[in-house]
Amino acid sequence: MSEATPKKVLLEPIFSNNPIALQILGICSALAVTTSLQLSIVMGLAVVFVTAFSSFSVALIRSHIPSSIRIIVQMTIIASLVIVVDQVLKAYAYEVSKQLSVFVGLIITNCIVMGRAEAFAMQNGPVLSFLDGVGNGAGYATILVLVAFVRELFGAGKLFGVEVLPAVANGGWYQPNGLLLLPPSAFFIIGLIIWALRSWKKEQVEEAEYKMSAHKVKEAF
Amino acid sequence: MSKSNDSIQKIITVALALCIVCSVIVSAAAVLLKPVQVQNRTLNLKENILRAAGMLSTSPTKQEIEEKFATITPKLVDLDTGMYVEPSAAGYSSIEAFDQQRVSQNPDYSKSLSSGEDIAGIKRREKYAKVYIVKDGADISRVIIPVRGYGLWSTLYGFLALKGDGDTVVGLGFYQHGETPGLGGEVDNPNWKGQWPGKEVYDEQGDPAVKLAKGGVNPSSPDAKYSVDALAGATLTSRGVENLMKYWLGEEGFKNYLDRVRSGEAGNV
Amino acid sequence: MGLRAFLDKIEPNFEKGGKYEKWYALYEAVDTIFYTPGKVTSANTHVRDGVDLKRIMITVWFCVFPAMFFGMYNVGLQANTFLLENGLAMDAGWRSAIIAAFAGNDPGSIWDNFIYGAAYFLPIYFVTFVVGGFWEVLFATIRRHEVNEGFFVTSILFALICPPTIPLWQVALGISFGVVIGKEVFGGTGKNFLNPALTGRAFLYFAYPAQISGDAVWTAVDGFSGATPLSVAAAGGMEAINESLTWMDMFLGFQQGSVGETSALAILIGGAALLIMKIASWRIVAGVFLGMAATATLFNLVGSDTNPMFSVPAHYHFVMGGFAFGMMFMATDPVSASMTDAGKWAFGALVGVMTVLIRVVNPAFPEGIMLAILFANLFAPFIDHIVVQANVKRRLARV
Repeated sequence: MSEATPKKVLLEPIFSNNPIALQILGICSALAVTTSLQLSIVMGLAVVFVTAFSSFSVALIRSHIPSSIRIIVQMTIIASLVIVVDQVLKAYAYEVSKQLSVFVGLIITNCIVMGRAEAFAMQNGPVLSFLDGVGNGAGYATILVLVAFVRELFGAGKLFGVEVLPAVANGGWYQPNGLLLLPPSAFFIIGLIIWALRSWKKEQVEEAEYKMSAHKVKEAF
Repeated sequence: MSKSNDSIQKIITVALALCIVCSVIVSAAAVLLKPVQVQNRTLNLKENILRAAGMLSTSPTKQEIEEKFATITPKLVDLDTGMYVEPSAAGYSSIEAFDQQRVSQNPDYSKSLSSGEDIAGIKRREKYAKVYIVKDGADISRVIIPVRGYGLWSTLYGFLALKGDGDTVVGLGFYQHGETPGLGGEVDNPNWKGQWPGKEVYDEQGDPAVKLAKGGVNPSSPDAKYSVDALAGATLTSRGVENLMKYWLGEEGFKNYLDRVRSGEAGNV
Repeated sequence: MGLRAFLDKIEPNFEKGGKYEKWYALYEAVDTIFYTPGKVTSANTHVRDGVDLKRIMITVWFCVFPAMFFGMYNVGLQANTFLLENGLAMDAGWRSAIIAAFAGNDPGSIWDNFIYGAAYFLPIYFVTFVVGGFWEVLFATIRRHEVNEGFFVTSILFALICPPTIPLWQVALGISFGVVIGKEVFGGTGKNFLNPALTGRAFLYFAYPAQISGDAVWTAVDGFSGATPLSVAAAGGMEAINESLTWMDMFLGFQQGSVGETSALAILIGGAALLIMKIASWRIVAGVFLGMAATATLFNLVGSDTNPMFSVPAHYHFVMGGFAFGMMFMATDPVSASMTDAGKWAFGALVGVMTVLIRVVNPAFPEGIMLAILFANLFAPFIDHIVVQANVKRRLARV
């Protein structure tokens, strides 16, 4: 990123430089919490909150952080924020926090949060870092919501817990796809999203590690 | 970044300051929110109990849960004798504080099971268990007992609600399990749970007779009144549910207590 | 050579700049079915041989025929026997109308059984071929390469490992997943590391477990439960199997199962042809068999009071479920298996060992060959890597 403008740091991570789709970070939680839209949205918001405020705080004290303990300092800030989020969810969204279980706590290990603090907030001002955190969190949340949309709709025939495709078991016609309820299905869906995204934005395609020699043919007869 | 940042003094100052600020934030959040969280947890437990007993509407309000729960009395039962005991027997000051999961791990108040006895796959069984009773005058009209047992991947935790005859099912609900979604996870399916009410759990000899019939219940079979459909494609979860019902309704479980419920003795509290 | 002349005449239309440029892939596919491709590679070294990928694939296709024909017969036999024993008529529906138009329901008549099975199997195969072929041609057209004949094999193998009563839309979904995710996302035939037919089958297995496993899906009559020998064994052990089936029954194929997997004999006939022509690797087949036999014997010796599967001997494992089919036709897929000779042994053994492990130890899955092969597919490049590195090391030591 040559020059960071507020608009760029906020919007670029959503499609052009998505933390999940381009940088392939934070996949683990994307597998676990995307069975329903509601969970993904809450999880996405939690990550937006944590990334934004951790980047903000790190940027605020960046000129005072001794480089020898900078990772520990970042970790401490992130961990504190995550605990606060976890406590708030337990108090005000009990059902959701029960289903998210350990995955809220695991935001601490989400590479996106740490990555933004180390790569961006250590070099930029607090406001810009805050926006960068919001942008990256939103990029994460976008993918989560897309995956959850597919998984909940086709895996359970529901959206936000409301039945959209009436299931056979309840007298409807739709046969829910059980694979989509299992975590590995998120791999396929994220893979397909990346495929679609890179067909759309060609510049995201990575350079091939090696090139096959061209297939030269001549007439045999 | 100036050089002084990496002096020992600066490092310690920054680290200390950061720790203090962060710990204040974290502990403030924990302390301030604790009452609400505790309330949520108990409310959730109450909801699970009431749901098993079929006493709730589909989306109950907090008030409804509290009101309904007020009609229920929790009691501590000695599983070996089937008699009520005071919470102090299990080392607790009040019945509300009694934590069955913790008691089952405590060697003073539980016993380990041999593999022959342990058909439900729970390893240890507590001596005392908390039951919930609903009274109609002097008689018990409903009794709700906690059950648990191993399915395919996980232990299923639930409540079984029986009528005052200690035999007819009012409802069964599992509030925690990790079975395969769509197969064993269908223990949560309202249609499947809907088969339980009205079934009987003991046969003429008084032995637990609950069955999960593979391929569906044959209505003309003499066992039909003890049977529900097994979960399609989930043989081991079905077997687990059958075993945990057998265990908790058997001599090792609540049979002694339920006998006393049936004879009316347990109503005299 | 009227056909050659016709094909040559229309060829310019499909070449770059021609009217039907976009459809070159289709033209090429038709052209090379009839004639050996008129082009050879000019760069790097290559060997001239009359056999090319297309001939190999079509040979495999023919070698599956014994298992396929027996499978159709067996589907009809199982269904007609059940109908006769219970004095029932066929379920209403378009399949029954077709069956009734051509044949009766006499389990003693080969024709009747065959038609019954065909009415169930051919629609599955047709849907597989059309839907899978659609994806194949779509990708070939977009990527401007030739349609790959590998699909001939993928489609018939996929159709043969479906239960006869599978709904056709699931067939379509399964083969789509197999072709697109199992193969095309990695760049098409030759670049895929999983067997596409098994990928599709595994997708269905996890997506619709109630329809594709369990007891009710194997016989083409509604509401009839016939457990496969593997689930019988998982529940009751050897005694339970011997009550209803002999080893010979299962070897010949008179048992419940997916269409093509029941008869070990028919599979061995086709498989022997593949081995003689050196299309399937005998090292892989031997590896799978030995891995299975060793693990099964080990479990026999260890024994278990609670798990009846421990007592099933190796020769029973061989004839039950999809083992023989997987060993001959799936594990030997040249693209997704190991390439080196030593690697083929290791790859095969891994399949055999994992199959028995899953069958015996895992409580949730009675059959294990599908997952075992997919698992070994993942390891195939790694196995090759080790073999190559070991070779490099040995030769370096000589320098």
